[in-house]
Amino acid sequence: MTTMQPTPTPRLATVHAGAADAGARTMIEIENLDFFYGASQALKDISIRFPERQVTGMIGPSGCGKSTLLRVLNRMYDLYPGQRATGKVMLDGENIIGPQVDASRLRSRVGMVFQKPTPFPMSIEANIAFGVKLHERLSRADMADRVEDALRRVALWDEVKDRLRANATGLSGGQQQRLCIARTIATRPEVILLDEPTSALDPISTARIEELLDELKRDFTIAIVTHNLQQAARCADQVAFFFMGELVEVDSAGAIFTAPKQKRTQDYITGRFG
Amino acid sequence: MSASAGSEFSDGSAPKPGPGRTGRDWADPAFSGLAKACGIVVLVLIGGIIVVMLSGGRLAFTTFGPGFLTSSAWNPVRDVYGALTPIFGTIVTSVIGLVVAVPLAFGCAFYLTEMAPRWLAGPVGTAVELLAAVPSIIFGMWGFFVIVPIMARDIQPALIHSVGRVWFLHPFFSGAPFGTGLLTGGLILAVMVTPFIAAVMRDVFNSMPPVLKESAYGLGSTRWDVMRQVVLPWSRTAVIGGIMLGLGRALGETMAITFVIGNTNRISASLFSPGNTIASLIALEFPESAAGSLKLSALLALGFVLMVISFITLACSRLLLRAGKA
Repeated sequence: MTTMQPTPTPRLATVHAGAADAGARTMIEIENLDFFYGASQALKDISIRFPERQVTGMIGPSGCGKSTLLRVLNRMYDLYPGQRATGKVMLDGENIIGPQVDASRLRSRVGMVFQKPTPFPMSIEANIAFGVKLHERLSRADMADRVEDALRRVALWDEVKDRLRANATGLSGGQQQRLCIARTIATRPEVILLDEPTSALDPISTARIEELLDELKRDFTIAIVTHNLQQAARCADQVAFFFMGELVEVDSAGAIFTAPKQKRTQDYITGRFG
Repeated sequence: MSASAGSEFSDGSAPKPGPGRTGRDWADPAFSGLAKACGIVVLVLIGGIIVVMLSGGRLAFTTFGPGFLTSSAWNPVRDVYGALTPIFGTIVTSVIGLVVAVPLAFGCAFYLTEMAPRWLAGPVGTAVELLAAVPSIIFGMWGFFVIVPIMARDIQPALIHSVGRVWFLHPFFSGAPFGTGLLTGGLILAVMVTPFIAAVMRDVFNSMPPVLKESAYGLGSTRWDVMRQVVLPWSRTAVIGGIMLGLGRALGETMAITFVIGNTNRISASLFSPGNTIASLIALEFPESAAGSLKLSALLALGFVLMVISFITLACSRLLLRAGKA
């Protein structure tokens, strides 16, 4: 790596010092990841581990690269010419940014929920079935079970069970976002990426999504990008602070918010910039 | 007036140009009057055209009654005229044109929006727009000198010996392979309307919110999954609107069709048989029609029929495009 690093940080050591991931198996391990939008570098020599069945919160000012990192984890950047990643991103022992990786299959293992709810212009039921049908052939009854299970897990079933065939765009914003989460978990991924999933929602809907994260981490490894520091403190087991494309610090949520080791982290969480 | 202008200066804000401040009080009413006049001129023009067509065609309409629309006769010697053959030819060539153009345009728009690398999408997109700008007479000559011989020598015999052998398709793909005829006309139309439909489709596909596409990709969709299950349902009405726009152009096309249609007043099931379209018939027969004759009246009546068909098409496309935007 030829990248200049103003303040070299003993990253892996910091990670291991984190209390949150003690004993947990590593789901994703990123080593020396660089990412480029054309000529400009958005991520610089990132190394971080995502422990299995834990929530990793990613915080930092706008443009710091945290959303970019999410888009590397499911290779969303593949859709756009000129964007490329180098380094190693190991998921279950496989480097997912390698050229031989099938992006569709990867995305069925690493689901994503976006900032704004993105229901497809079709029925509630069809929205859930959409992703499942891409990868599995289910009987009608099995599919109905899968739809119900997904909707129950996001606590949406009771609200929509009588109108499964109604268009999903008619739901409220919070319901739409829970539908999008249901749609993602219906394909039974291993990892769920959430890119500021509550920034377009009201406080009550936000609280419901946050409760949901607690449920979901029993089954899924979760990475969430958020601008809301309280949200990171409430939901995340491990928190990573990004600044200008660099990973400044990663530690347990408690340690980051009470005893950050880096001055830049402290400045950010105390509101001195960003 | 000057007082209000002065107060604006005094409170420090920049003076804004507007009515009544510069002593040109007449400018704004004059401009709005002019603009209104332009709008009215268009209305008067379209109304005038309709009136001329209708009044010019009145003799034919009163002589033949509703039978004008259902008769396939066109006999200048006995002075008997019917519109059925050119209406049939117009609709059949347009439908053939669309059947060929829609998949072509879809493929083109799909490639341009989802697959083409940026350095290629630009030139190909420009080429599509240039194709829309080629004058129709060029397509006519090209059709006559290039497409007609190919149709006669290769394509029509091949169709006769392949799909023409299927019993229920036999009537449509039989007859002498002259090269001209309804099928050739339809194919020329397809080439002409493809760029229009492709341009609309490309814009519609591009206007789709990227995050919606990304959500579909995020679930593991392939490009085709995304197009078929998300983009197309999302843009369905607008796409249909674009197709109707192409249909409108195909219905009224004159010169390109005249070269290759065969110009024969005959209705036949075979797509190889020569026929006629309304626009082509009018263009060919107009110079040989005496003023005040029943024939001239019949041609004007045909023009009226064509306008009605085009208006219906345009109205449908407008409605669908509006619904698509909502």
